[in-house]
Amino acid sequence: MSVLLDVQDLTVQFTLPRQGLFGPRPVLEAVRQVSFRLEQGRALGIVGESGSGKTTAAMATIRLVEAASGKVIFQGEDLLQLDDAAMRQRRRDVQLIFQDPYSSLNPRARVADIVREPMDLMEIGTPEERRARVTDLFRLVGLRPDQLSLFPHQFSGGQRQRISIARALTTNPKLLVCDEPVSALDVAIQAQILNLLARLKAELGLSYLFISHDLGVVRHVCDDVAVMYLGKIVEMAPREALFDTPQHPYTQALLSAAPSLARRKSRGYVRPVKISGDPPSPINPPKGCAFVERCPKAQDICRRVQPLLESRGQNRVACHFPG
Amino acid sequence: MSALLEIENLRVAFNTRHGEVTALDSVSLTVNAGETLGVVGESGCGKSITALSVMGLIPSPPGRIAGGAIRLAGEDLTRVSEARMRALRGAELAMIFQEPMTSLNPVFTVGDQIAEAIMLHQKVGHAQAFRDAVALLDRVGIPSPDRRARDYPHQLSGGMRQRVMIAMAVSCRPRVLIADEPTTALDVTVQAQIFDLLNEIQRDFGAAIILITHDMGAISEMADRVAVMYAGRVIEEADADDVLDHPQHPYTRGLISCIPALGKGDTELREIPGVVPPLHRLGAGCAFAERCAHRNGRCDSGKPLLVNHGHHPAACHAVQEGRI
Amino acid sequence: MTDAVAFKPESPAREAWRMFRRNIPAMIGVVVLSIIVLATLWGTFFFAGNPYEIVWAPHEAPGVAPEFLLGTDYLGRDIFAGLVTGGGPTLAVGAAAAAITMVIGISLGALAGFYGGWVDNLLMRITEFFQVLPTLLFAMVLVTLFSPTLTTIALAIGVVSWPQTARLTRAEVMKIKELEYVTAARAIGAKNRRIIWQVILPNAAPPLIVSATLTIGVAILFEAGLSFLGLGDPNTMSWGLMIGSNRAYILDAWWPVTFPGLAIFLTVFSVSLIGDGLNDAFNPKLRER
Ligand SMILES: Nc1ncnc2c1ncn2[C@@H]1O[C@H](COP(=O)(O)OP(=O)(O)OP(=O)(O)O)[C@@H](O)[C@H]1O
Ligand SMILES: Nc1ncnc2c1ncn2[C@@H]1O[C@H](COP(=O)(O)OP(=O)(O)O)[C@@H](O)[C@H]1O
Ligand code: SF4
Ligand code: SF4
Ligand SMILES: [Mg+2]
Ligand SMILES: [Mg+2]
Repeated sequence: MSVLLDVQDLTVQFTLPRQGLFGPRPVLEAVRQVSFRLEQGRALGIVGESGSGKTTAAMATIRLVEAASGKVIFQGEDLLQLDDAAMRQRRRDVQLIFQDPYSSLNPRARVADIVREPMDLMEIGTPEERRARVTDLFRLVGLRPDQLSLFPHQFSGGQRQRISIARALTTNPKLLVCDEPVSALDVAIQAQILNLLARLKAELGLSYLFISHDLGVVRHVCDDVAVMYLGKIVEMAPREALFDTPQHPYTQALLSAAPSLARRKSRGYVRPVKISGDPPSPINPPKGCAFVERCPKAQDICRRVQPLLESRGQNRVACHFPG
Repeated sequence: MSALLEIENLRVAFNTRHGEVTALDSVSLTVNAGETLGVVGESGCGKSITALSVMGLIPSPPGRIAGGAIRLAGEDLTRVSEARMRALRGAELAMIFQEPMTSLNPVFTVGDQIAEAIMLHQKVGHAQAFRDAVALLDRVGIPSPDRRARDYPHQLSGGMRQRVMIAMAVSCRPRVLIADEPTTALDVTVQAQIFDLLNEIQRDFGAAIILITHDMGAISEMADRVAVMYAGRVIEEADADDVLDHPQHPYTRGLISCIPALGKGDTELREIPGVVPPLHRLGAGCAFAERCAHRNGRCDSGKPLLVNHGHHPAACHAVQEGRI
Repeated sequence: MTDAVAFKPESPAREAWRMFRRNIPAMIGVVVLSIIVLATLWGTFFFAGNPYEIVWAPHEAPGVAPEFLLGTDYLGRDIFAGLVTGGGPTLAVGAAAAAITMVIGISLGALAGFYGGWVDNLLMRITEFFQVLPTLLFAMVLVTLFSPTLTTIALAIGVVSWPQTARLTRAEVMKIKELEYVTAARAIGAKNRRIIWQVILPNAAPPLIVSATLTIGVAILFEAGLSFLGLGDPNTMSWGLMIGSNRAYILDAWWPVTFPGLAIFLTVFSVSLIGDGLNDAFNPKLRER
């Protein structure tokens, strides 16, 4: 397997508005030295609480958010070093699908134009070829070509997500960033879209960077999983290893929090791992482990020393007391 | 003994530009004290309208209760005066909404808002009510409650706001607590905290809880009994174990099997094709027919009734005929 | 896919039109404005009379002389002739001033809202500068400095009224640029210019169209105000000029001032009815009703 994407020490900072008239401008580190690799044809899942930096990390990877430092080696080339024109060329290889099927399509454009626009911009093919491709894509994602001249608001949420997927596939990308692509959908519709994504991955050999807060969805779609907490990856492992032998206390808490049909009130189910509270503010992150305030295993050293990602079996985990 | 809350043949209609549509049709549900009823179904199936009917909060116009009864300890809420309903709301009946951000008033502190709710129904002064509010915040697990009581909603995280909502909802120890997708906007770890909290509160107060959700996993963890809704009707109702282990209706089966389970990967998910039909297009037959693999001629001509065909009640011709 | 819901294709503009048609006050506005515009067109291109010509005794009351239905002014000029020929310049100044307002306001507002940072800071300081100027006074200064032709009057009105449009545009652009379809456009490699003009502004259009409509009304009033103060173009008949030149005799004869005043009122009123109707038609929350 060849490495498609190799992200190294990616850091993203946002400068917030000044507090008071002459106060300092606080800096928020949304993503802190994140590194991961994605192999051709595989799906890497990113899970974590809201605000943990999943979207920002993915957006910085494809340069829709500016990174403060780090490298994004895509097909052997550092995307962060490209000038704007070169990056626009590269965009045909990296596309994305959003969470909100309502705000991700321009309400004033017909869906055929939405799906065709990437080809227009990148001057791919003749007008007839473009039209034919749009029709093909519509069929591929399970829409009817007679719906081509409609507007986004005339589709249901699931259908809109299909349109988003068609638009993302227009330029034959190699990497698809999916940011919570099914979170806004009902379970029944969610299954339709997940099956579609799985089929496209197999048929077109796509690679996914797949963000979700739903562990069941991630387990279903992804080959590898990275868990983020307060801007950092705290655990990363192949799917089975992560779900069967989670090493980080936060991963364990996530797994025990996720509702599942196997847990019945009638059988007196009580959650084994409970964590309290909310994540700390990303403006002044703790010096040591960011999870320390909520961690059932926390010790003195956790407060002082930041744990680094280290291998443990198939997992890589950033914790002083893994397991 | 009759149940604490009984909804009987409830019908709710809305005036729309497509004419009058029936949002709820022959909905019957019961909840007992100390019990959690899970109501599950896709968006637009009538879950929230059911909840709002119980609270007497159907927006009217365009909506109205067109038939049936809602009895709280024998008293029919569809017939009581608005003044009586106001007295019941907050005291006997309480509701927690999906979006904790918009259901709190941004210009008052959370302590004041809870105190306000207490003073509405109990003869206490503001100082006492505020002390009670702090105690409630402590009860729902908010750290340093006396300081937090002086915070405004935007200063709290989503999880804390939902706890505040719960504190407000239980301030008068209601007999029925309705939670309409209380954790949809929250992270799983916070959702777990809220679920645990709801269970504790039920144990303490003995309240009946109606938990509305679209997540079968949440039903499994929280509910004693389950009602599955589709296009404004209850299409299956039974104990949670019965519904989860022996789903009868094709829709319930679909809902359960389309969840990507934590325990397995890779296999293709079973999907329910299509979408919930809009209310103004409901015909004479089964509303699920367009998405159903077991449909036959009878399904198009008559609506199946919710009756027990062996295991537990389900509204489906195929179940009745023993075809599935 | 078996997604059973079939929709009839309807563009957002068509949907808005369907809503608009059902709005009775707005449709009254359309009818009244159409009559005014048609009368004006007729007066400009087909009317044979001369509004400057003294045709009768001064201050003849309306209805007395059958050929001068609306009476005559202090010089004995036909008021009806003034109304139908003066409408053209009045409406033209209004429209031109509104166009200038929109062009300046939308461009600066869009740039400020889209780029933010120092661009925004700079443009907003300029906007504030223009906003705190007393508008009528400033317009009067402009008109007196340059010759009071219709063009300068339209320019003067445009120059003093764009800041509000700029602020509105900026706010809309800032809101829309955060939406995911804008990010989606960037993700497919669209350039900023395309994103501003083809993605953001069409979506910001509804409130801007409403504001443009209302600006026309304001500009007409403004022109009337300038003329009333004697700063109008004395060589071009307009409703404002009619009021301005007759105002001294208002106690002797009410009609030379009242009829052009009524014309201005009806125009501005129908324009604002239309503006309100557009506002409702574009508002998706009201649309489902
Ligand atoms: N104000 C209203 N006017 C017209 N129809 C309405 C109104 N409120 C609700 N409905 C309709 O009633 C049906 C049930 O709505 P309800 O909000 O209860 O669904 P739900 O199951 O709670 O869905 P969700 O998960 O989206 O909240 C829907 O088809 C909806 O369109
Ligand atoms: N444009 C921005 N300005 C300031 N802070 C931001 C911005 N975008 C994201 N953040 C912050 O960055 C952190 C990570 O955000 P995000 O990646 O969107 O989280 P997630 O996708 O995991 O929900 C959060 O603390 C968020 O508030
Ligand atoms: S490093 Fe310490 S505080 Fe952090 S997760 Fe591990 S045990 Fe818990
Ligand atoms: S009644 Fe018929 S269409 Fe409806 S669920 Fe049963 S088998 Fe399917
Ligand atoms: Mg996100
Ligand atoms: Mg609802």
